[in-house]
This record gives sequence, C-alpha cells and structure tokens, in this order.
Amino acid sequence: MDKMKSTLQSLLQPLIAIVAGLVIGAIAILVVDGNIIETYREMWNGAFGNMYFFTSTLARATPIILVGLGASLAFKAGFFNMGSEGQMVLGALTAAITALYVPGPAWFKAIAAIMAAMVVAGLWSALAGWLDSRFGMNLLITTLLLNYIASLFAGYMVAYPFKDSTTNSALSQTQMIDKTLWFPKLFSGMTLHIGFIIAIVSTIGLYLFIKYTKKGYQIRMLGGNPLFASYGGVNRGRLMVVSMLISGAFAGLAGASDVLGTSYRFLDGSLVSANYAWTGIMATLLASSNPIGTAIAAIFLAALQTGGMGMERNTDVPLEVSSIIQAVLILFITAKFTISFIKRKKAGAKDGSTN
Amino acid sequence: MLLEMDSITKSYGSVTANHSVNFNLRKGEVHALIGENGAGKTTLMRILYGMERPTSGEIRINGKVVAFHDPTDAIGQNIGMVHQHFMLFPAFTIAENIVIGREPSKGLKFDRKTAIEGTLQLSQQYGMPVNPKQKVADCSLGMQQRVEILKVLYQGAEIIILDEPTGVLTPLEVKEFLISIKKLAETGKSFIIISHKLGEIMEVADRITVLRDGHITGTVNAADTNEEELSKMMVGRELVKLERRKVEYGEPVINVQSLSIKGAKAKPLLDDINFNVREGEIVGIAGISGNGQSELLQAISGLMPYDEGTITIQDVNVTGASVKQIRESGLAHIPEDRYLWGVSKDATVSDNGIMGHLESTSKYGILQGNSIKKLVSEWVQRYGIKTGSLSTKAQYLSGGNLQKLIVAREIAQQTPFLIAAEPTRGVDVGAMEIIHGELLKRRDEKAGILLVSSELTEIMKLSDRILVMYEGKIAGELDAAIATEEQISLLMAGGKAVG
Repeated sequence: MDKMKSTLQSLLQPLIAIVAGLVIGAIAILVVDGNIIETYREMWNGAFGNMYFFTSTLARATPIILVGLGASLAFKAGFFNMGSEGQMVLGALTAAITALYVPGPAWFKAIAAIMAAMVVAGLWSALAGWLDSRFGMNLLITTLLLNYIASLFAGYMVAYPFKDSTTNSALSQTQMIDKTLWFPKLFSGMTLHIGFIIAIVSTIGLYLFIKYTKKGYQIRMLGGNPLFASYGGVNRGRLMVVSMLISGAFAGLAGASDVLGTSYRFLDGSLVSANYAWTGIMATLLASSNPIGTAIAAIFLAALQTGGMGMERNTDVPLEVSSIIQAVLILFITAKFTISFIKRKKAGAKDGSTN
Repeated sequence: MLLEMDSITKSYGSVTANHSVNFNLRKGEVHALIGENGAGKTTLMRILYGMERPTSGEIRINGKVVAFHDPTDAIGQNIGMVHQHFMLFPAFTIAENIVIGREPSKGLKFDRKTAIEGTLQLSQQYGMPVNPKQKVADCSLGMQQRVEILKVLYQGAEIIILDEPTGVLTPLEVKEFLISIKKLAETGKSFIIISHKLGEIMEVADRITVLRDGHITGTVNAADTNEEELSKMMVGRELVKLERRKVEYGEPVINVQSLSIKGAKAKPLLDDINFNVREGEIVGIAGISGNGQSELLQAISGLMPYDEGTITIQDVNVTGASVKQIRESGLAHIPEDRYLWGVSKDATVSDNGIMGHLESTSKYGILQGNSIKKLVSEWVQRYGIKTGSLSTKAQYLSGGNLQKLIVAREIAQQTPFLIAAEPTRGVDVGAMEIIHGELLKRRDEKAGILLVSSELTEIMKLSDRILVMYEGKIAGELDAAIATEEQISLLMAGGKAVG
C-alpha cells in the first residue's frame, strides 16, 4: 500500500504540472481566438495522428531520452550535472570525425564512432566531477561553463580543421558521413531509426542498474542522504567521478545517435538550437530521475513540439502555444528543482554539487 | 474538574490511534501521560491542542463542552503547549520571543519597553529568572525551555502541555526544571507532561495515566506506584532485569593515542585523547553533549580528519584510513543522530538495512533479493521492528523502530569493536530493553563497545568503565562499579574528581 501510495504521489506532481500547462495553453488559445478542442486535437494529430507523425515524434524523442537518462543517473546520485549540452555536442563531433576518418569496414566505423563519442563525452563530464571532488569546484557551475567551452570548441573544429570543403556551402559543418554507416530506419519512408531502440534498451538497462546493482544502490544512497552513504563507507569522490562519467557517456550516445541516425554530419549549432539537452534535463526533472519516467516524459515533450508544428499547419493558432505549455512546465520544475537544491544545501552541503 | 476528555477516539483510516480514551486534569495538578512510542500520547495531546479533530468523543473545560478547530481556539481556552522541539526565533531576544503573536504596541510601533517589563514581571511572578534582552541564540537549552514556558504563560495558559520536556536538558537543568514545574502547580497552573523518563515522572507528577496501543491501561496516583509497575503497565509484561556477568577482559580492540583536533576556534575540539576498549568491555563516555563526543566518534570512524594522534583497531593502524577500510578492520557504528547519519529517509527499510552488508547480499555486483529479504526480515522479527513491509520507506517508521533497525544492522556486522552512540535516544522502554540486551550480549560475545550517551542512567547501567568528557578532554576515568552519579555530574560540569 505504501508502495502504491508513493508511486501515485510521484506521478501526481508531473500530472499537475502537465494539466496546469494545458489549462494555461487553453487560455492562450482563447486569447488568439482559437478553438481549444480543435487546437488540441490538431496538436494530438500532429504528434500521434498517423504512423508518420507518430514515428517522427519518437525520432525527435530519441536524443532527448538518451540525454535525460544521463542526467537522471547524475541526479539520482545527487549531482546536478548541467553539462549535458556540451557533453552531447562533443559526443556528436567525435562521432562525426571518427566516422569520417577512422579506417575499416562500415560496421567497425559505426561502432567506433559510438564508442568514441561516449568516451569523450564521458571524460568531459567526469572532468567536472573530478574538479569538484578533488578541488571542491562547484559542479553546477563548472558543468554549465564547460558547455560553452565544448560548443565553441566544436564550432571552431568544424569552421576550420574539419570544415566540409567538398561543397560551396558556407555552413560550419563536417562532410557528410558515408551512407553505409547510417543507422537503418525502422520503417521505410519514416525518420525513425534504430537509435530509438538503443534508447529504449538503455532506459530499461539503466532502470535495472539503479535498482538491482551494488553500484546502483550506492548511487541511490549517496543521492538520498550523502552523510548516510559516507557513514556506510561509500567513497563519494570516486562515485562522483564514476556517475558523472556514465552520465556524460549517455549524452555522448545521444550526440552519436543524432549524427549517425538523423543529421549524418556534425553541423555547428544544430544540437544546441534543437534544445535536445535541456529538454532531456527537463524530462528527468519531470520524472523525478526515474529512468522509465524520463523516457515517457521525453516522448511527451517531443510530442509537444511535433504536435505544435501540426497545430500550426492546420489552425491559425501559432506554434508559440506549445512553447507556452512548455514554459509552464519549466516553471513548475524550476520550483521543484530550487526547493530540492535548497533542501540539500541546508542538509549541510558545502558545495553546489548538492552534497 | 478543570479538564475532561471523554471517550476520545481518533482513527486514521483503518488505524485507530486512540480508542475511547478518558483523561482528566484537576486544577493545580501535574498529570503525566506515559506510554511507548506510538501508544497514542501525542495524538491525544494534538487533539487537546486543536491540531487534530477527534473522530468521536468530547472535551469539557470546567464542565462546558468545547470544540477546537485549530490551536488558536485551544489557546483561547487557556491551553498552552510546549513542543519537544523548541519553536523560538534564535535571532530575537527573549522578550521578543515571549510576546510574539501578542506584541504590545504603541500606535503602529512595537512597544519594546512594555514587552521587556512584561517579561520581567512574568518571570518574577513565577520565579523563573530570565534576562529579557538576551538573544535566544545565546541561551542554553535549559534557558530556552524556560522561555517556552514563559511564552505560554504570557498567552494566559492555565493548562500547559509539555511534550518530552527534559529530552535535551542536562541533569542539573532537569532538576531546576522539575522544581519550577512544582512551584507553578502550587500557584494553580495545571500541567500535562508527556515523557519516557519514569524517574522524573515519579518525582514531579501527582497522577500518572498510561497509554498502550491507544487504550488507557490505567490512571494511578504517583504516591501509590513505582517505576517497575509503570513499566509493566506501559509494556504489558514484566521487564527482564538486566544481569551483569563478570567477564574477563581480553586484548584491546581499539587504542586511541593523543588524538587532537584543533578546530576553527581558539579552543581545540579534541585535546590529547587517550583510551582503549578491551574485548568484553563496555566503556561509557559521559558528558554534556557538545564537549567533543561527536568529534571523537567521527574521528574514530573516519568521518572527520584529525590533526594529531594514532588510532589502531585490532592492532591495525587505521590512522587517516577511509571509512570503508576502518569498517573492514572491525568497526560497526550506531550513529548518534539517526536521521543525519543513520538512514536515508526516502529509501526502503531493506535498502537502509543492507548498508555495510553489501558483500554478503550481492553477487557479481548484483543485489541478491532473497538473501536481503532473509537478512532484514530476521531483524524485523528478532527486534520487533514495526513496519508495514520491507519496502516501506524509512520515513514512515517511528523513531524507536528506526533505531532498532539501525542497531540490528550494526550489531549484525559482528565486529570486534562497536560504537554505540545514544543507542536509545527517544525510544520507548520496550525498545530500550531490547537494545540494551543486545549490547550486553555482544559484550558477552567478547566484543568491545564504546558507549556514548547523554543519559547518565544508561551509562551507569551498561558500562564497565566510565570516561567523562569536558571541553574536548577526558576529564576523568571511573570504575563503573564504584562511581556515583554525583561524581560523574561534577566531572561533566567541569569540576574536579573527588575521592
């Protein structure tokens, strides 16, 4: 009974946020003289109305799920990894360069690209964890700032050394990777690729890891009460580096999946403007860091965006209504995030890593 | 009769916290309400103070039926409550804290002068001296207790509810506190005291009502009863008398040499601490909390770095080692603050139970559900831990049950050395009996135990040897067989050992 109660309680919060978002969205629709029911129906159709829209939503959700999983692992351990964006960008850049320049058969190149992306992004993230545990540099701040370094560095790389010189395009981007490396599509004529399967398998894997392994147990305890964990002999510094490493690797996987499955190259700014990383973090916060909840929330947030486009196509209501709903969600999440941050601070935290 | 609570029943869904409870209070009486954790004492008092509504039953004051919707209504009927955790603003002065909610004013301005005069007059009238201009942050806990009582008196309370009033006080402060309660009762104020401490109850109460599982087991005159009888009424069976066996001490399990922690202030937190604990021995550390006991325990268990000193456990030098290494060398640790160190409140009972037992409950890094279940449910049974299930979150367990879980977990480590810090703080008589029994059993199994407690009776009951800490030093060492409470109290207060 307790279990059911707490499950219901953890569901209640995101549901309230979503309902509040939809209600305020409805007010916005009224203001622009739209029909609420018709607008929301178009939105639903745009996201799930037919096979094409549905698979597009899932395709858009794929990188969001993967980033969200990475963030959820770090949050579970009590570390506010805000660096998903930079980690994802570095992962995508690494994947593209590896796919372009590593010799070997296609399958080898593809796997090497994924691995390299995960390692580079993981190390980038672990660096922040190490700086915190070794020198007490605030993780929240370092991860945020490392985002800029990563994005600007990637921008430089594709503007100069690795710039696509085969076309006359002025865009800062790498060459297109070879077709043989592209992730296969799940259905012909649709955008959805096997990256989605990878994301779902990762979701289940991470859920089982957190729930049933010794490391997962230590991560949960560290996040729940860091003093209890250290009292029980859990080495916080080492676990911090490890969980940041895995967290970053997920963001790197998200980047690789975008390069190999959707963009087929690294284009400066494309991941940042699509807002995958922050949407992923939002999904995690909506789901209180539960991996399965994160995947569901990621699909919901992706649907809000693809649905918004459908709404704009078929009604006079502008796309911004989607943004309004999302903004309300952010507001709710920020409140929750701030409260939990303050709570952790109060619980004797010395640094911004929440503990 | 001043107050009558008639057939009060309070149900939360299927759980009934109070079954048709009758309770009354005479003018000028001190009436104690005792019972184990979860017996329904606090619920009954929350109903009286308007924080809960009874499911059925009525409350009469001076024969008139009253109904309270919130504490304001209760305060309006001259009922006041002093909570277990003080509700004072540390940054404000005593006078400001006392008049809060009923501040005297001059026009729109707070009239500080009248507030100070009012406080002084109140404190003289009831013989409870305070300095109205002192900040609460600078007051001792005993003084804060006094401020709380003056606050309810200022609100005009005739019936005063005290919830575990002596939990945080030093032995000397407890004595003063009991005296002032008796004095106030003589002036016509009436008290209801919720407490675990039978000795204090016997000293101060006129009548005693015992609750067990939400039922009244009896109301007796303090003059006609004794502590044994009261314990029996609370627990519902005879308590087993602890027997002390003479055991031979073996080799030292821990040796602490010249341990010092400088700290940020001028005074060191720990100053040249030397002691050992031998196999089969319980060494008690007495002292008023805040005299270095916490730092000592944290230093020994690897949770706090120290500036000087050597610590060996079982002949292994663990100076500066990690918590994990120290635990592996043979330490188990019942922490002094169970919520801060001992558990993760959002985690389940079994998750909290397996901390430190991961080696035996996992294989290839995977947790083994069956062996975890077996291990933890055995503790639940043996210690009588009341929990919905093993997947109930720790936060839903009462303090006593949580403590039993922690004690079970640490004793199950079967280490040669065990730290037991405040092992029975805030737990009821039944749980205390079980925990003490288990500690003595570990001692008989030749483990060495370092017991730290702010309860002198606990130290005297269990220890073979007593160390007294004062201002970061060991102020004295006494043989428990011949030490007296007076000797220890004197050392705790910074006096010199006599005799």
